[in-house]
Amino acid sequence: MEWDWGIVGRTFDLLLMGTRLTLVLFFFSLLLGTVLGLVLALMRMSRYRVARWFSLFYIWVFRGIPVLVILFFAFFVVGRQMGLTPVQAGILGLGFSAAAYIAEIIRAGIMSVDQGQSEASEALAMTKRHYMRRVILPQSIRVIIPTYMSNSILVLKVTSVAVAIGIVELTGITRQLSNSTTRPIELFTAAAVLYVFLTTVLVVVQEVLERRFALKT
Amino acid sequence: MDWEVVWESVPLIWKGAGATVSMFAWALVIGTVGALALALMRLAAAKPLQWFAIGFGWLFRGIPLLILLFFAFFALPELGILLSPFLAAVVGFSLWTAAYQAEVIRSGIIAVPPGQSEASEALGMTKAHYMRRIILPQGLRIMVPPFTGNAITLLKQTSLATLVTVPEMALLTQRIFSNNFKFVEPIFVLGMIYLAMTSVLLILSVAVERAVSLKV
Repeated sequence: MEWDWGIVGRTFDLLLMGTRLTLVLFFFSLLLGTVLGLVLALMRMSRYRVARWFSLFYIWVFRGIPVLVILFFAFFVVGRQMGLTPVQAGILGLGFSAAAYIAEIIRAGIMSVDQGQSEASEALAMTKRHYMRRVILPQSIRVIIPTYMSNSILVLKVTSVAVAIGIVELTGITRQLSNSTTRPIELFTAAAVLYVFLTTVLVVVQEVLERRFALKT
Repeated sequence: MDWEVVWESVPLIWKGAGATVSMFAWALVIGTVGALALALMRLAAAKPLQWFAIGFGWLFRGIPLLILLFFAFFALPELGILLSPFLAAVVGFSLWTAAYQAEVIRSGIIAVPPGQSEASEALGMTKAHYMRRIILPQGLRIMVPPFTGNAITLLKQTSLATLVTVPEMALLTQRIFSNNFKFVEPIFVLGMIYLAMTSVLLILSVAVERAVSLKV
């Protein structure tokens, strides 16, 4: 067969539109997942047993079920009931899924901070809320960044599953174009290149952040 | 939620469990063999082997799995490679598994102190020999937790095969709710089956971890 790489140039605007939607899904689901993940991590370490159990249960369920199924639930059940658009349902599903992983990452980061730090803060009569915010969390950031960023790369790639609920992001638009032009090799290669470009950008961001938060010695 | 619909859905969805489990098993076996080869190539003396392994990992870990599946399903036929949906999915999942498990195996191998290989060489063992008898058995202990973690991820990701028309559990679920427009019940059943499967794998992984841990 003959190659026709020109197809990529002719459809590039559409591919970029898909990429934009991929980035929208990525950004908002990561935002939702991070806020929710922080809450879950703090609940997991709370002194209230109910909060700890809830957090454990949430993490077990959302890590035990495929993203695809969570998206089905967000779109066909929650989305239909609340009248959400597919993109809103997608962000909801991806965000709730990401939260379970991010919670574990934040918890591991917090636990890596030496016990003596909270003891010293208590000795200085700081409240738990106060030293969590001013002493523990800032120190845990350093440990959290590498795992958080590699998880973010996974979140970016997982946005492709949104095609299953009819969202026409990069993977969705590529599938449509490939069906209508019968040029799957060229188009899926182009999509792969765009994804690798985006994940490479995230790797660079990770390096910058790691350097920015590194201990100055 | 209508429990009658729930109970009706269970056997219909369970029919797809065979496809789910066999895709998982095939990809895990093929992918792990590939991963071992890639990890050894990455640690080999020959530069081209190292580059191949690095390139493979960079490529297949940088691209979403779904794109790999679509490529195997839509693009390979254009190259004259006609695969059934099931085989296309297994190809995609195996490539994914190989790329991710190669990292796990490599980090397990390099975690074994270099004194072990030096001592083996001093005893006149060949590299192939001490890799198999000294290094890998010790690295295994470090590999087990991330390896089983990836395996659980793989099991969940087999649900993506629905998008390349493999009649596994997620596809059968979609078939149910597009017929009766009852969404909650079949999706709930599907989620519970997956949760049960991943929980079993989680328990198994703890058992394996315990079995290979050092007895002191």
